[in-house]
Amino acid sequence: MKYLTYILLSLWLLAVTIPLAWVGVNSLRSSKEIVENPFGVPWLVQGSPHQEEAGHPTPQESAQSNFQNAWVESNFSQYFLNSLIVTSVSLVMILLFGAMAAYALAKIPSLGNRLIYLYFISGMMIPAQLTLVPLFFQYSYLSETLSAWTAPLGIEIQLHNSHAGLILIYIAFSLPFTILILTGFFKSLPNALRESAIIDGASEFTVFWRIMLPLARPGIISAAIFNFLGLWNEYLFALIFVNTPEKKTLPLGLSNVSIQAQYNTDFGLLFAGLVIVIIPTLITYLVLQRQLTKGITAGALKG
Amino acid sequence: MAQVVLQGVGKTYPGKVQAVERINLHVQDGEFVVLVGPSGCGKSTTLRMIAGLEEATIGTISIGDRVVNDVPPKDRDIAMVFQNYALYPHMTVFKNMAFGLKLRKMKRKDIRERVEDVAEILGITDLLKRKPKALSGGQRQRVALGRAIVRDPQVFLFDEPLSNLDAKLRVHMRAEIGRLHSRLKSTMIYVTHDQVEAMTMGDRIVVMRDGVIQQVATPSVIYDRPANKFVAGFIGSPPMNFIDGTIRDESGVLFFVDGQGLRLRVSKAHAVILEKYTDSRLTLGIRPELFSKPDQASRESGSTLLGHVEVVEPMGSETYVSMEVGEGVWTARLESDHIPKVNTPCRLKVNMSKAHYFDPATEESIGV
Repeated sequence: MKYLTYILLSLWLLAVTIPLAWVGVNSLRSSKEIVENPFGVPWLVQGSPHQEEAGHPTPQESAQSNFQNAWVESNFSQYFLNSLIVTSVSLVMILLFGAMAAYALAKIPSLGNRLIYLYFISGMMIPAQLTLVPLFFQYSYLSETLSAWTAPLGIEIQLHNSHAGLILIYIAFSLPFTILILTGFFKSLPNALRESAIIDGASEFTVFWRIMLPLARPGIISAAIFNFLGLWNEYLFALIFVNTPEKKTLPLGLSNVSIQAQYNTDFGLLFAGLVIVIIPTLITYLVLQRQLTKGITAGALKG
Repeated sequence: MAQVVLQGVGKTYPGKVQAVERINLHVQDGEFVVLVGPSGCGKSTTLRMIAGLEEATIGTISIGDRVVNDVPPKDRDIAMVFQNYALYPHMTVFKNMAFGLKLRKMKRKDIRERVEDVAEILGITDLLKRKPKALSGGQRQRVALGRAIVRDPQVFLFDEPLSNLDAKLRVHMRAEIGRLHSRLKSTMIYVTHDQVEAMTMGDRIVVMRDGVIQQVATPSVIYDRPANKFVAGFIGSPPMNFIDGTIRDESGVLFFVDGQGLRLRVSKAHAVILEKYTDSRLTLGIRPELFSKPDQASRESGSTLLGHVEVVEPMGSETYVSMEVGEGVWTARLESDHIPKVNTPCRLKVNMSKAHYFDPATEESIGV
């Protein structure tokens, strides 16, 4: 039984790492090499007479040209920055609002709590695709109306083709799930902590900010990871609501590479782009994962 | 320093669950009052209403000279110690104790002084830099006490603070809280379900049941003159033995008989009161320590009782004997010089001058 577990886990490990490694390796090869031998490994073929005759570039050269093409010429530096802005601003807002709502729903006794909770959670049942068209028109209408109000101040509000518009959508669609997991988490924290802090003289916000939020860290971090993965790779809304190249996010940039090239895809470039997209995700996960498992509530109660 | 007065205070939860029914209680300034009762009797709810964690549905609560019904907990000048300590797990002991002072915008230097003073009183000075999870249960409870004391509140509220500790530590902390009370001389209200804690700690005891106060009195009065059958049975360990029967007048002498062979002579002092209950049904209550080895005089005067021994539990200095009397099982606490054998009949003398009588319908104590 023990061996079976190890075998299954090893297979799982391979299934996860091989594609990742394949992407990494191919980002170091030229498009021609990839097409000739999709599963070749650069340093094995390197130095072979065949390769030198054909005038193949070395892996270093391929890598340099692939990443340079991606980062500079294909504008991935801009996409990366855009993705970073949209994802991080959304994430901060989602976690802040999500935690505040979840805390109130879990810890402050009031009559409508159950109903409000269900209202939030029901948001998860709405298919995002279904909202695209109405949302598109609503944004047009909202932009016009708001701009009419702010016109005297010389400000024009544009929700279409703007990061702000995209961020608003991201926040709205991420809140239900975030509230679901955070409410469960806040509920698991002992009520006596809140009561004790209130008697100590804390306001409800102080209880939330100084006592409960630090204790909910593992929950916040899991919510952060889930949301980051979803937002960083989000394609559909970005495709519909962002048009100009200088505002596009990484997933759009990536699809650009294959769309623009039509039948002549630069695979080296594509893989380099993929690596650029994957790396932040990997780093985020590696950094936060350790925090995730750190139990911080130990000692709150008898234990 | 302040008195706490509850006037007609009641609490009804949504869904018509009445947790506390219009109780009146006057806790004197500097008094240590223990609220005791079985779980669900409303004692914790009463405490939480005083703290402001629950709103009273009806009635007024005053602390000092001020009605506090609409005063938020932080402005009631109270401190509360919780059953599960409720220490902030991400803060050190020092920060836990300083939290309330910091929120009250006290100067840093003063906070440090105050926390260190209190830590010294409680003997937790060397724990100040630790976090709660690095403390034992007793240490945590001490920190929780410290957090309450640094605030120097008018009233201390304790919600079963010792029930998470092991038996030995509980006895130790009981004494410690007692010492703190005589040192601080603050008003303290203490909730427990443990009648030993109630008896040993309280200046006065409030016995509650189903949201109603049964009796408010000093420990000795509660024990010697319980107001009703519930108080009599709840306070005292092992509990009081009860049996239903009738008062019979046998040529001028009153006897309590149960119709199944039990026949005990009513003491002279009781006879004066019980005369008018002749031939009516009563409940007799006898505490376990009122039994002893029968002598000639008691046999002749009719103050002995015959039971069938079921279990014998030697406790060292004394022995608990469970025996069948009538339809019930009674417990007797005997000196170790007279220990009956299991499964044998056993005759014991009963000190009837300390017996209790209750009205079987109302369960109220009669006379005494």
